[in-house]
Amino acid sequence: MTPLPAGLPPCLPILGGGIALLMLCIAWRRSEARAILVALATLLLAFASLWRPALPWPGGPAATLLVPDGWFTYIAGLILLSSAATVIMAWRGTGTQADEFYLLLLLGTLGALVMAGSADMVALFLGLETLSLSLLGLIAWHRTQPTADEAAIKYLVLSGLSSAILLFGLALSYATTGSLRFAAPVPTGPDGPAIPLAATALILTGLFFKLSAVPFHTWLPDVMEGAPTPVAAFIAVVSKIALFAALARYFAGADLAHPGTATAELAIVAVLSMLGGNLLALGQTNLKRLLAGSSIAHVGYLLLALLSPGPFGLASAAFYLAAYSIATTGAFAAIRGADLSDIAGWRGMFRRRPALALAMAIMLVSLAGIPPAVGFFAKTYIVIAGVSAQRIVLLGALIAGSIIGLYYYLNIVRAMMESAPEDHHPARTLPAHAALIAALAIVTLAAGIFPETLVRQTRALLPPAPAHDILYGERT
Amino acid sequence: MIALPALVLLPAIGGLAAWLSGQGDRPTHLPWWVAIATIILQTVLLLVVTLTAGFGTGPWLGHFSIPWIPALGIAARMDMDGLSLVLLWLTTLLSFPCVILSARDIGERPGLFLLLVLTTIAGVDGVFLATDLFLFFFFWELMLVPMYVLILRWGHEDRRRAAIKFFLFTQGSGLLMLVAILGLVILHWRSTGTLTFDYFALADTVLTPATAMALMLGFFIAFAVKLPVVPLHVWLPDTHTQAPTAGSVLLAGILLKTGGYGLIRFVVLLFPDAAARFTPVALALGVAGILYGAWLSLAQDDMKRLIAYSSVSHLGFVLLGVFSGSPMGMRGAVVQMVAHGLSTGALFVIAGSLQDRLHTRDMRRMGGLWQALPHLSSVALFFAIASLGLPGMGNFVGEFLVLLATWRISPPTAILGAAGLVLSAVYSLTMIGRAFLGPPATGPDPDHAGPDFGVRQMTVLGLTMALLLVLGTYPQPILDLSLPAGPHATQPEAGRP
Repeated sequence: MTPLPAGLPPCLPILGGGIALLMLCIAWRRSEARAILVALATLLLAFASLWRPALPWPGGPAATLLVPDGWFTYIAGLILLSSAATVIMAWRGTGTQADEFYLLLLLGTLGALVMAGSADMVALFLGLETLSLSLLGLIAWHRTQPTADEAAIKYLVLSGLSSAILLFGLALSYATTGSLRFAAPVPTGPDGPAIPLAATALILTGLFFKLSAVPFHTWLPDVMEGAPTPVAAFIAVVSKIALFAALARYFAGADLAHPGTATAELAIVAVLSMLGGNLLALGQTNLKRLLAGSSIAHVGYLLLALLSPGPFGLASAAFYLAAYSIATTGAFAAIRGADLSDIAGWRGMFRRRPALALAMAIMLVSLAGIPPAVGFFAKTYIVIAGVSAQRIVLLGALIAGSIIGLYYYLNIVRAMMESAPEDHHPARTLPAHAALIAALAIVTLAAGIFPETLVRQTRALLPPAPAHDILYGERT
Repeated sequence: MIALPALVLLPAIGGLAAWLSGQGDRPTHLPWWVAIATIILQTVLLLVVTLTAGFGTGPWLGHFSIPWIPALGIAARMDMDGLSLVLLWLTTLLSFPCVILSARDIGERPGLFLLLVLTTIAGVDGVFLATDLFLFFFFWELMLVPMYVLILRWGHEDRRRAAIKFFLFTQGSGLLMLVAILGLVILHWRSTGTLTFDYFALADTVLTPATAMALMLGFFIAFAVKLPVVPLHVWLPDTHTQAPTAGSVLLAGILLKTGGYGLIRFVVLLFPDAAARFTPVALALGVAGILYGAWLSLAQDDMKRLIAYSSVSHLGFVLLGVFSGSPMGMRGAVVQMVAHGLSTGALFVIAGSLQDRLHTRDMRRMGGLWQALPHLSSVALFFAIASLGLPGMGNFVGEFLVLLATWRISPPTAILGAAGLVLSAVYSLTMIGRAFLGPPATGPDPDHAGPDFGVRQMTVLGLTMALLLVLGTYPQPILDLSLPAGPHATQPEAGRP
């Protein structure tokens, strides 16, 4: 087997150390302020360490669990920054004794990072479960509320089920290839194509469940609604980035340019997600549920990029992930800032709190893909990839989905512009939240007008796709 | 020429300044003055651009280019030819009525309104200048958002539906154009190995007839929605009717012209062969628009709706002229766009003023307004007559040239188009008869209709009249300018001032 670039990215031990430190702090004396400081410092330190070379890995290349390549570094940067935003968003949001909240957030981040970098099924599964288990605690945080319980149970059952399906797929994959390498098995083995195909289908199903792609998405709106707002943001952003990163890595060596079973499955799920997610968001009266639908649709757009191999495919996906994370985190931060998740409550926001409404409008405009927000260029980039790979049907679904999307995003903007009812919600936004929202709004606009820096970052993150025999050299 | 991006940035910055200047606690007139200063500066800037333009060195008059996203071959490139210049002047001139005459619509806090009007103008200026296809698309989408908010915030009773309809139609067709743009870019990349969005480079792409037709249709549909071409016009009557006066003027006067401009620049000149093959369909659609718009105008009671449908009819001539395949038709189409922008813009100002005074647009409830509002009524008569194409006004020149050019390639089309002119005389004069002449109706008492047009309105509209008359009697300068420069014409050089 060709050795992958082995090594331990230094952000993982830093994160692990931070988690241990936070646990010590909690054991010593509870203080939310200290917890948030430790969490933020850990995340930022880990982010800074992304520029450091990977640590040597004991055991040599054969035992490679993690690949600290460009793709990992980019995704890890996104995950760490999004987690930091989530931590800020969670400030004073979780009751007085809320240190464990940050602990769980850090643990989830660690799981997400491991997933994004995993070259091995074991590492992937460990990362996935770390993420899922900490999410379970986070979702059920307000455990006195019935919606939180419902959300947690739904998540627990479906997450367990999808993990089982994924595990079965991994086992089948190991049975055909004899390797724990996390990559799509070639559908030509001595046992015929059936088992590798079944393995890929099961692994995809497991990942799609967690990624909440249509038709495996039904849990997401309920969970998002029941979870605390920062956790909803964490699910929509960090968890999805990590899963998409793993999915992209799984197919990094596969041939997605030509029709095949995996390609067909991805394409069908992409179309269903683009249309289904947007249709789901269309009728919502709760902003979190609406954003859940919108995030499903964005997964569909990302799958279109994944299905468009070539110089633009993954680059556009990477760019889109960044644009999506910024805007979605921003939208959730605005919900948190206003402490309102009913669309009806946002009516007249432009009169009552113009700055907050403007920031929210910028985020929504970015999600809808309208200039000058960054979502516009991101969507254009994905369409470039799709056109270059001639994905006509998928592009049609993207256009149809985008038009539906415009309708509901603009509906919120419209509601915010209507004349205001009396202000029955005089909640004030904390300065930290206001700063976060403002920063994200500025980044949305700045990256939209000057996308060049980010475009350069996103190029050639994973080695170009071809040739199974590179990955499976030992079998041929 | 650094002045080209300045033409886009100045209104945007002026709009921001106007908005910020109105942020105080007390209502203030400051935003108005900032906005007026902005459009005066813009006029001066455009005058400078016109005077320093490179006339005589080729059809392209100005050039500006800096890299924007070089990783994807995207540059902030702008080029100006005579067509751009004419339409820039139209935009700048129409920004005066938009800003000056909309005071009654807006109320005490004009900052946001002026910001939106000026950013729309900035976006439109960008559309008329951009020759990088990504930049073009950026501006194309950018001008929609402020327009949407304008309609939504300051529109009339059914504004929500109108605004959403406007946005969905134009955005949806815009996405189709995006796919066409990218298809062209990718094909060019495949055949040459360079990724570029440059208009001049892309014009050289070798395309099979079928691909060229598909790509051309992607562009055509986007511009046809904007122009509008029947049957893609359904957003227009609602949007124009519900928009505030300044919004209607912007829409009818300027935004629709981006459709005509796009048809010339990005359909006929970029895909000449495919456009030639498409001509029969385009002519049929043009004539259908002329007759259908005129026929529906006859049946309207709502004055703004009548004017909106008449736009559909008049802009059918633009489609005929653009696809007539002759320089004469192209020139006619441009003159028609300018004349339509001026006359319909003015008619929307009048309809808006009537609504302010009578609180209705329903002509069944008007009548006999001439006694109460002599100035307004006579101005309305002038523009109605201009709009029906009386010789001596710009509209006549445009329609005549278009019909002449059409006659050469398809006499039946020309005859049907001319029949539309008859209908246009009928509905224009009926409108005047019902609203301003005849017995006073049961509606609001015309004696309490409020003040007649004052000095401000008469100055702005008087200048518009003068322009229409000049355009009608001495159209030669516009005709000389308005022939668009093809992508293969001598390109502007990078270093020229």
